[in-house]
Amino acid sequence: MKRLPFVPGEWIDRKTIHAFEFEGRTYAGFAGDTVTSALLASGVTVLGRSFKYHRPRSVLSFANHDVNVLVQSGPTPNVRADATPVADGMRLAAVNTHGGLARDHARWLDKLSAFLPVGFYYKAFHSKEWFPKWERMFRALTGLGRVDTAAPTRKTPKRYDFCDVLVIGAGPSGLAAALAAANAGASVVVADENAHAGGSGLYNLGGDRTTEARTLALLTAVAGHLRIRMLTGTTAAGYYADHWVPLVDATRLTKMRARAVIVATGAFEQPAVFRNNDLPGVMLASAAQRLIYRHALQPGARAVVVTANADGYRAALDLQAHGVTVAAVVDLRDAPSPGLAQRVGRHGTDLLPGHGVVEALGRQGVKGVRVAPLDSAGAPTGKARLYGCDLVLMSVGWAPAAAPLYQAGATMRYAERVHQFVPAAVPPGVFACGRVNGIHAYDARLLDGERAGMDAARHLGITVGEGPAVPVETEPASHPWPIFAHARGKNFVDFDEDLQLKDFHNAAQEGFDNIELLKRYTTVGMGPSQGKHSNMNAVRILARILGKPIGEVGTTTARPFFHPVPLSHLAGRAFHAERVTPLHERHVALGAKLMNAGVWLRPEYYDVPGQTRLEAIREEALAVRQGVGLIDVGTLGKIEIHGPQAAEFLERVYTGRFANMTVGTTRYGLMVDESGVVIDDGVIARLGERRWYFTTTTSGAATVYRELTRLNTMWRLACGIVNVTGHMAAMNLAGPKAREVLGALTASDVREAVFPYLAARELDIAGIPTRALRVGFVGELGYEIHVPADRAVELWDALMRAGASFGVRAFGVEAQRLLRLEKGHLIVGQDTDGLTTPFECGCAWAVKMDKPFFVGQRSLAIVAKRPRQMLVGFEPGEGADQVAECHLVIEQGDIAGRVTSIAWSPTLGRHIGLAMLRPDLAQPGGTFTIRVTDGSTVPARIVPAPFYDAEGRRLKMAEAA
Amino acid sequence: MSAFVQRTDAPRAGVKGPAAAEWLATRGLPVPAKPNTWLPLAAGGVIGRLAYTEFFVEGDAAPDIEREASGAPAGVYPVLRRDLGLVLAGPAALDVLAQTCNVNFDALDLATRPLVMTSMVGVSVLVIPEQRDDGIAYRIWCDPTYGPYLARTLHAIAAEEDGGLAPARPPHASTISRGGP
Repeated sequence: MKRLPFVPGEWIDRKTIHAFEFEGRTYAGFAGDTVTSALLASGVTVLGRSFKYHRPRSVLSFANHDVNVLVQSGPTPNVRADATPVADGMRLAAVNTHGGLARDHARWLDKLSAFLPVGFYYKAFHSKEWFPKWERMFRALTGLGRVDTAAPTRKTPKRYDFCDVLVIGAGPSGLAAALAAANAGASVVVADENAHAGGSGLYNLGGDRTTEARTLALLTAVAGHLRIRMLTGTTAAGYYADHWVPLVDATRLTKMRARAVIVATGAFEQPAVFRNNDLPGVMLASAAQRLIYRHALQPGARAVVVTANADGYRAALDLQAHGVTVAAVVDLRDAPSPGLAQRVGRHGTDLLPGHGVVEALGRQGVKGVRVAPLDSAGAPTGKARLYGCDLVLMSVGWAPAAAPLYQAGATMRYAERVHQFVPAAVPPGVFACGRVNGIHAYDARLLDGERAGMDAARHLGITVGEGPAVPVETEPASHPWPIFAHARGKNFVDFDEDLQLKDFHNAAQEGFDNIELLKRYTTVGMGPSQGKHSNMNAVRILARILGKPIGEVGTTTARPFFHPVPLSHLAGRAFHAERVTPLHERHVALGAKLMNAGVWLRPEYYDVPGQTRLEAIREEALAVRQGVGLIDVGTLGKIEIHGPQAAEFLERVYTGRFANMTVGTTRYGLMVDESGVVIDDGVIARLGERRWYFTTTTSGAATVYRELTRLNTMWRLACGIVNVTGHMAAMNLAGPKAREVLGALTASDVREAVFPYLAARELDIAGIPTRALRVGFVGELGYEIHVPADRAVELWDALMRAGASFGVRAFGVEAQRLLRLEKGHLIVGQDTDGLTTPFECGCAWAVKMDKPFFVGQRSLAIVAKRPRQMLVGFEPGEGADQVAECHLVIEQGDIAGRVTSIAWSPTLGRHIGLAMLRPDLAQPGGTFTIRVTDGSTVPARIVPAPFYDAEGRRLKMAEAA
Repeated sequence: MSAFVQRTDAPRAGVKGPAAAEWLATRGLPVPAKPNTWLPLAAGGVIGRLAYTEFFVEGDAAPDIEREASGAPAGVYPVLRRDLGLVLAGPAALDVLAQTCNVNFDALDLATRPLVMTSMVGVSVLVIPEQRDDGIAYRIWCDPTYGPYLARTLHAIAAEEDGGLAPARPPHASTISRGGP
C-alpha cells in the first residue's frame, strides 16, 4: 500500500508530520492520518492478531465497525486504530499478542482450530476438575488490552444540550434532512462519528467527482445555515426515552434532548464469507474507498472486486481512477449493474457475472483469489480460475445501522426487494432516511432525507408541505447469500470472535437454533464490534439452516450503547452531593473526624491529641454520663405540620396516639409502611393546638416528607406539611449538668417541675428563639434544642461557653451510638431491617392497635402473632472483642440471627449488644452462638435491655435542692 | 468565555396553604398569577410562586412575612426559608448550567418571568434567570445544608472557564446569612 499524490478532499495535512512508535519501531504519519492509515502508508501490512486463532489481520472496514486493528496506546487499552488520529509521540502496540505482533507465540492456535470448535469453552468448563486449569489457560491466552490502574484520571465533564431535531449521521441523506428541517424553521443538530461530515458522498464516487461536488454543495449549505449545528467526531451512542440521545466525543458525553430524531445512520457494509476472507488485503470495498479519498492511500496494486451491487462497480472505478489494476470483478449476480459494468470493463477488467469466490490465497497477506461460476444454490462449482492480486474488495451488501431505531422502539421488517431489514413502524418523533431506510441510490437518498426532514418539522408543529416522493430502488444493494462453504473452513462470519461458517452449522445441530441462543452459544456479535459486520450474515446462515424466511428468524436485541463509551465519559465529573449542618466549621475547628452518614458529613468523634479513636469516643460518652455534652443533631429530619386536622393526620401516619397530647408535650412516634414494617421514628411535639413539629431519622427525612405529602394529597385533610430539615439546626445538650448549663442562658424556668421530661417549650436561649424538647435518646437529662439555621452557630457558641465551667464536651456520632445502646434504644435501619415490625423490635408499646386507622394497621393485625425475629439485648462471653455488627448467630449450623449493635460500654465496663434472633431463641436468659470474622464462635447470653438506668431515673433527674 | 458565582445575602421567607395567595395579596404583595413564575417587589426583592399554594419571598418584606405568617389565619402556613442564595453570571454562565442541570435555560422566555425548580448537581434548586444590562444572571437558591457543596461545585466549573473573573476561592457558603425577624 502506498501514498497517492494529492487527492482532492483528502483529510491529511502533508505539511505536518507525526512520529510515533508501533511495536517498538518508529513510524511517521501526516496530521489527519489515523493510526491505521499512517501504518499502511509506512508499508506495514499486518496490524493485528485475531482473538481466538491469532491469525494476522489488517483493515476490514476502516470505519470503526470492526476491531481487526486494536492497539494499546500507552496506558489506554483497546484503542481503535482505524478511527484514532495519529499523534506525535504515541507509543502503540497490538493487543492480544504474546511476544509481539510479528512473532506472536500464540499463532500456533491457528493450527489447532479443529480442536477448538464452537462452544468448546462451555464444554471445557463442564468438568469441575478441569475448570481451574482451563480458566488459568484461557485467562493467560485471551484478553485484549491491558488496564493500567495507575493511569491518570481524565476529566470528562458531561453536559446537557437541546435541539428541535437531532440528525444522526452526516451522510447525504442526513445533510438533506438537516437542511429540510432547518429550512422549515427547526433548530437542528447533526452528529456524525467521522472526523469530517459528508459520509459516502465524498468517497463512493465511481471515479466521477460529480457526486462529491453535490455533497460539498450540501455541506456548504449546512455550514452556512444559522439553525444547524454540526458535531463531527461525535457518536450517538444510544437512544433513550423522550428523544434523549447520549452524544459521545473525544472529551465528553453530551446528553442531547431533542424534540425529534432523524436516524440517518447509513448502513454497515457486510463482508462476503469465503475461505481466508480475513487475510490482510481482503477488505470491504468502502474501506478501500475511504483509504483513497480520505487518506490518499492506494490500497493495493492489483485487485479483484467481489460484488453483488452497484457499489462494487463504483469501488472498482475508484480503484482504476487511482492507478490500481482491477483484474476482475466477480459478480454474484447473473446480471451486472448496467452502465457501471461497461465503464469498468473498458480498462481491461474481466467481468465475471454469476461467479463466486472459492478461496483467497496467502499467509501474511492475500496473494490471489480463486473464483468459479455459481450453481443454482449459489455455491461455486466447476473449474476455478486463479487471479493473482494483493487486494480483494468485498461489496456484497449492507446491514442497516439501525440500533437507534431498535432502541427507540421501531419495528423492522426484512424487505425481500432490497434484501435488507428496513423500518416497518417508528415511534412518534423518530424518522429514518437513507441507507438505514433501505434507500441506497444517491439521488434517492437526498430525496429521502428531505422527506424525513419535512416529516420531523411537521412533528414539531411546523406547517410544511408534502415531502418529495422517493423512488424505489432499481436493484437490491445486498445479496441474499454472499456465503461460500469450504471443506477446509476459515471462512469467517465474525472477525471479532473468529467464528467460521461451520460453527453456525454445529451450533444449530447442537440445538442452538434460535437467533438469541445462537448468539450466546457462538458469541456471534458479542465481540467489541457488537455484530456490525457479522449479525446480518449470521441471520442469513441460520435462516438457511432452518429453511425459514429471514424475517421469521429475526434479529437480536440492540441495546445501548451502540458503540463503546469510556467509563470516564460516563462518570463525568462524578458529582456526589454532600450536606453539612450550619455548625460544620465549628466541628472542624474542634478537630472533628468527619464521617459520611448518607449525604451528610458528620463528626464521628473529636480528635484529642494522644488519644486513640476509641479512647476519644469513650471519653466523650463518659462526659455525657458524668457531666454534660453537646452534639449536633441538625441532620435529623424536621417537619412542621399546621392546620385543624394536623392531629388527625399524625394519627394516621404514626402508630401511636397523638390527638390527646397537650400543648407543650412530646411523644415518641413510630412509622410503619403498609406491610407493617418499621420505616422511621422520631419525636413529635405539640407546639400549639394546630401546630406540630416532629423529627425523623437522618436518612429518612426526604422519604418521609415525600410520603406524607403523597398521603395528604390523597386524604386532603386540612393541614399543611412543611419540611424545614435544612432550614432548622438542632443540637442536643445532654448530661446531669445540662439543666445548669441551660439555666445559665435563659430567663425561662427550666426546673424539672416546670419543664419536665418529654415536655416541649419555645423559649429564648442566649436571646435566641428556640424550640427545646426534653428527650432522652442518650439516656440522660437532655434538651434537644432546635433553632433557625442562621442562629445555630450563635447558640452553639453560647452553650459551649456556658458549659465550659461544667466541662462540657462536644460529642460525635459514635459516642451517641454507644450511649443509646447502653440505653437500649434502637436505630431504625441498623437494629431493624426491611421486614421488621414493631412487635419484633420491642416497640409494641408504641403501637395503638385500638385506633380507628393508621398506615400498616391491618398488616400488623395479621402479623402480630407470628413474629419472624425478635430484637434482644445480649452480653457476649469470651472473645467478645471479636464480635462486630452483622456477625451471624449460628444455631445447629443454620443462620438464626445477626448482631445489629455491639460495643464496649465504658460506663458498665463490659460488652453489650443487640441482636435479631429467631423467636424460639429469644428467651430471657437464653444463650446463643455468634460466628465471628475468623470463623470461630463466641457465646452470648440474652439479658434485659436497657442495660443502663432501666428505670429511667436519669432522664427525669430533678435539680439539686 | 467566563462565568462567576457570587453569594447573595438577603432575608427570605415562605408561606404555603390554600389561603396563602389571598393573604399575601392583602399584605400588598404582588402575587404571580401562575406557578413557576415570579414578580419583582417594589421595595426590592422577588416573590416567586412555587406551586398553586406555595410562595417564596426574598427582600426586605421577608422578615415581616415570616413573623406575621406565624399568626396568619387558617389556610396559611409559614415556611421557614434559610436558603443559600447564589448568582451565576458571565458569558459562560449558560455553559456552566449545561454541565450541571438538565433544564434548557436558553429556551426560556424571560419576559414571562420564569421560575425554575429543578435539580442541579443533585441538589434541589430554585432558579430565576434575570435579564441585566450586562447579560443574563441566574439567581439560584438551595437548602442551606447543600449550599457549600453547590457553591463549591459551581465555582469549580466556572473557574475552568477562561477569563479569570471567577474568584480565587469559592463563595463562603457554610455560614448562613441571618434572615428573618
